[in-house]
Amino acid sequence: MTEYTKPLPLITDLSRVFYDGCKERKLLYQQCRECGEVIFFPKKICSNCMSRDLEWKQSQGRGKIHSFTVTYSYAPPEFAKDTPYALSIIAMDEGFYIMSNIVDCDFDKLVCDLPVEVVFQPVTPDITLPKFRPRPPAR
Amino acid sequence: MNRFRGKTAIVGIGEVPTGHFPERSFVDAAITVCEAAIKDSGVPKHAVDTIIPIGVVSNPLDNANVVCSWLVEELGLGKTAKSNFQVMSGGSSSANALKTASSLVLAGLSQAVLVVHCDRLGTGIDFNAAVTAFARASVSQEYEVPYGWGQLGLAGLLQQRYMYETGTTERQIASVVESLRKWAALNPNAMMRKLRTADEILDSPVISSPVRKRTMNVLADGAAAFIVTSAEWAKDLTDQPAYVLGVGSRCTNFTSTQQPKNYHAAWGPAADEAYTMAGIQPKDVKVAEIYDAFPTFILITMELLKLCELGEAGRLVENGHTSPGGRLPVSTNGAMMAQGHTGAGGGVAILVEAARQVMGKAGERQVPNADIVVETASGGVGMDFHVGVLGREA
Repeated sequence: MTEYTKPLPLITDLSRVFYDGCKERKLLYQQCRECGEVIFFPKKICSNCMSRDLEWKQSQGRGKIHSFTVTYSYAPPEFAKDTPYALSIIAMDEGFYIMSNIVDCDFDKLVCDLPVEVVFQPVTPDITLPKFRPRPPAR
Repeated sequence: MNRFRGKTAIVGIGEVPTGHFPERSFVDAAITVCEAAIKDSGVPKHAVDTIIPIGVVSNPLDNANVVCSWLVEELGLGKTAKSNFQVMSGGSSSANALKTASSLVLAGLSQAVLVVHCDRLGTGIDFNAAVTAFARASVSQEYEVPYGWGQLGLAGLLQQRYMYETGTTERQIASVVESLRKWAALNPNAMMRKLRTADEILDSPVISSPVRKRTMNVLADGAAAFIVTSAEWAKDLTDQPAYVLGVGSRCTNFTSTQQPKNYHAAWGPAADEAYTMAGIQPKDVKVAEIYDAFPTFILITMELLKLCELGEAGRLVENGHTSPGGRLPVSTNGAMMAQGHTGAGGGVAILVEAARQVMGKAGERQVPNADIVVETASGGVGMDFHVGVLGREA
């Protein structure tokens, strides 16, 4: 693996659970056991009822592009070599939103609400990132 | 009657040109706008007892120093000032400073509050450092940093979804810039004063789709200040104060991933609150000084302010109604797209322009009968939404 030079996520006791899940090709989110609120980004306290009784759940990994942008220039310096790349906010079927890149696709065919699915990209021995690609047959 | 409505006023404003001024020092620009605001207000210097410097983004040392009463010493306010403290919420600092200043005056804790913004994002910071700083703040370190988010990416995400939901065309977005350039051409303090047609704007390359080079803002040096006093005193100080008639706000999120997907449900109440407090209807608004950062947010805000129907803002702009001479003048200083992006100062410049229009001091770009002016601000990635109503009668 060539050296990975882009920013890596901050690992905390909470985000470690999420990235350990990614290493096992599982996209994890949380749900409140008390009020049922779907929670992502992961938290210690329910954003609805302030309960600390939150459980981790595995997402089916499917969603739709809420929005996207293909960056051609003026990218943050660490990403300058990678242009063009597609940055996206994805609306997951379970009801949470996640930011990622759309990969394995023709950028000209991207459109809001396009169905996508997660693919896991190991970038270092410790970190695997969830990325998304158009779901067949849209591919 | 609401106990906030019409009880305070902006009585003095100061501003220096926005642009790239490597020879203009931070403190020189800062004291120049304070001096101008104090002299414009007619408030005796010794009555300026509270100084609120807005956060400085380009230089942490300048920021530390304004927090530590640098401007109190420079302006010679040390014998009479009671408090110097910072208000900082990025682009919405203007609104939060106005709320804070008005509350202090209303509570009798302050006679006159000086709010001042100064920053040097054009020449006081290396360009790449500025891009990096803006690409790191307001981003989740755990779940967003790996993907190449930046302020232009944010603009792209916002514009893409807005066009998809409303059917607004790219040409209509470009028309916003055309309109802002027309206003900037009449504003000696603006940076981008050259007229550009929508077609010329669409001719520029795509940077982060669908945002093009000429639908990006440009980082700049700038400074502006304003003075808030009681409405009672304002009447004696100046012929035409800008009375604070209504404020409303909502603070919703930190990251762009978690930004409300339905702006109208999340931020609409801010406009409703401000209008209700002011006792006005959207149709009473003569000028809308809208905070932009990017052109799409002007269109979204026109709809949030109920100045038009959902999805209609682009057509209104394309037909010239928001330009000089139009029936709904929008962002008459050129906003950040044409006056220049000065960090937290974009909002301050918008608020100062709103006061300027109400006070009848807008020169060539003065809108006739600007008796009710609405102004907006938003910070972070669009983390909040603030609406203020200024008017000629308390």
